Amino acid sequence: MPVNIDEKLANVDVIKDGFDALNYICNKQIATAVFLAYHLEKPILIEGPPGVGKTELAKTTAEMLQLECIRLQCYEGLDESKAIYEWKYGKQLLYTQVLKETLGEILDGAKGLSESVAKLHDFGDIFFSDEFLEPRPLLKALRAEEGCVLLIDEIDKSDHEFESLLLEMLSDFQLSIPEIGTVKASGKRKPLVFLTSNNTREISDALKRRCLHLYIPFPDASLENQIVNARVPEIAEKLRIQLVNFIQELRDMDLKKVPAISETIDWARTLILLNSESLDADLVKQTLNVILKFQEDIETVEAELQSVTNKVLKES
Amino acid sequence: MLDDTLIDFVKVLRNAEIKVSPSETLDAMACLNVVGMEDRLFLKNSLALVLAKTPEEKEAFEDCFERFFTIDKLLPANDDDMPQEEAGQGDDDDEFSDDSDSSQPGKGGGQGGGGGEAQDSATEDGLKAQSALGKLMTAGSRTDQTIAIVEAGRAVNVNQIVVFTQKGLYTRKIMDEMGLKGLNEEITELKGHGGQGQKDLGKTLTRARESLRERVRDYVEKQFFLHADEFGKQLREELLRKVKLSNLEKRNFKDVQEIVFRMAKKLISIHSKRRKTTKRGQLDIRKTLRHNMQYDGMFFDLKWKASRVDRPKVMCICDVSGSVSNYSRFLLMFLYSLAEVLPKVRSFAFSSDLGEVTQLFQNAGLEEAMARTMRDYGNGSTDYGQMLEDFRSHCMKDVNNKTTIIILGDARNNYGDSKSEILKEMYDKAKRVIWLNPETKSNWTVGDAEMKKYAPCCHQTEVCNSLTHLERVVGNLLRSAT
Repeated sequence: MPVNIDEKLANVDVIKDGFDALNYICNKQIATAVFLAYHLEKPILIEGPPGVGKTELAKTTAEMLQLECIRLQCYEGLDESKAIYEWKYGKQLLYTQVLKETLGEILDGAKGLSESVAKLHDFGDIFFSDEFLEPRPLLKALRAEEGCVLLIDEIDKSDHEFESLLLEMLSDFQLSIPEIGTVKASGKRKPLVFLTSNNTREISDALKRRCLHLYIPFPDASLENQIVNARVPEIAEKLRIQLVNFIQELRDMDLKKVPAISETIDWARTLILLNSESLDADLVKQTLNVILKFQEDIETVEAELQSVTNKVLKES
Repeated sequence: MLDDTLIDFVKVLRNAEIKVSPSETLDAMACLNVVGMEDRLFLKNSLALVLAKTPEEKEAFEDCFERFFTIDKLLPANDDDMPQEEAGQGDDDDEFSDDSDSSQPGKGGGQGGGGGEAQDSATEDGLKAQSALGKLMTAGSRTDQTIAIVEAGRAVNVNQIVVFTQKGLYTRKIMDEMGLKGLNEEITELKGHGGQGQKDLGKTLTRARESLRERVRDYVEKQFFLHADEFGKQLREELLRKVKLSNLEKRNFKDVQEIVFRMAKKLISIHSKRRKTTKRGQLDIRKTLRHNMQYDGMFFDLKWKASRVDRPKVMCICDVSGSVSNYSRFLLMFLYSLAEVLPKVRSFAFSSDLGEVTQLFQNAGLEEAMARTMRDYGNGSTDYGQMLEDFRSHCMKDVNNKTTIIILGDARNNYGDSKSEILKEMYDKAKRVIWLNPETKSNWTVGDAEMKKYAPCCHQTEVCNSLTHLERVVGNLLRSAT
């Protein structure tokens, strides 16, 4: 069933409802970003702490619009041959061999070198042509007929040169391949581009300038409640509120790595498995390793476990 | 008019140190067309996406937006509500003043009746204010009045306000622009008139005039904080960058620290990109095979595994005695702000005996580390000979051809033994020796200064007595790292 994309992205509230229906609970800012990205045809650069649903946003958008999600995972050393295109060298070599064998036929009757060269030129040059081109994610995204969602994940992990490589794609939705020319977005719709970054390094101004910049912070208590409710609907309300409050408390503490939403959800699932109905200090202590990933952090929290738990229980 | 507002807003953002490029301004305009101005929160979210591109900038943006659009937020969606004068005024500011003056004597009361008349009691007696401003104040809605203030403010360029004392002037200018003269004349005339109705109207108008003055002053004040405050800050920063560091007063330290961090950030972003592909090391078989397929499998272009980031190893020796201590303070501040691109800084402090303070600066806050350094090493007369001696016995073994040694001091040795032969040794061993001297070059050889002996044993000697100098020196240091 095809989806009318214009309709799905008509305004911010529609987008928000669309995400809600897919269990992706977002605030207005996020919905606004998607709205503008579509209407201004600009990529979104998403930053924020790990585990707040940056990648998920792109995936959910693709799901909502029923578009293909083309994903490019960035890492150190990623270059154009893996991101944009590559020649099929093997095929090219075969082609030259075939050409060599038929050379006699082609050059039959040619007199002198210049005539042979002229004949060879007439034969047509497909050595560098579409047939031998192996498209990689970026090129694939440009060629998607029905539009697509392009997710360039963890751009901060890639090298600096790669950022520059992206600029042409991001500002004009085109790519230059020296041997062929410029490839422009061919489909009816331009791809919807999401870039995510964990801010391990500063993204260059040139790249930022070409994108909308969305910062997703940790959600506040009410939003997180909604998220947990959407993702783990079987959890009891009382436990859910306690759990979210506890996590919110932890985020204020001085920890090496504070728990993200994904950890909250994991914890909720764990507590359900344990058939618990309410938080208490013992239970928290046993399951602390689900939400905290460093021994140091666990020790820090254990020291204040009783007081934090009491506080949370009092609040809810 | 919307575009003008947006451009003004961008100006304000730039003042608040949010980098907005022209292309982003264009984006913002496109965004405005899509979003419209009806929904304030929606507008704010949208503009934040387009204009502010780091979490810090987002925060500053929030602040600016709240301040900038507080007055403007009541802009009506449709122009029908406006009294006639307002509509004319919105289109053409220049004509407005003439209009208000000429309308004062002759225009009939019925003409201004577009707005919400019922608001005011003066209309009861069938009397209406005649001057444009009077009409606006009695019959116009608050929104219209606000628009009029903003329009008049734009006409007299209130955004060019620079100093605090100009507030009165601009208030006056805006009032004049709005047609204060007409209103004043009308009030005088009404008071001279005998009838009760006229007197009441006169009183109402006088009150309205006062409240208007209040509001205009408020508006000017807000504009002052938006535009001039930042302008003053820029001036001050410009000054702080150039002033001699020893002349800085304690109350300025915080500002300076901020500047240093910003300078450091800039340098980091420039230099963190430098990457050097190694030409030796481990062969990356996979990459080489893949890459050389295009050469028919001949190993033509070899690929190596590691690419390494080349970063200088810095040893920094700082004189912390008396007058030079301030310079050392900022040099150290600078170097430690650069931890991201300069991970290997070792620092030493001395006045006579040399001591390593690397740990101190890495663990404690800058202020505390500095204070402790001063306490431990700051006393005693300077003895460069002793310092060099100590350096040789403790650290010379760690110096290699990748080390850059920075010495900061005035080289005033109290006529002691200069021991420049040790510096020569360092010169031979290290990659570079840089001497930073806060005194001007002409003083380098005067009195007990030993620069004449030390200078030949340095790769580079620099005068360094302001933040600008410091930035240049550190920038060069990073540049030469390749």
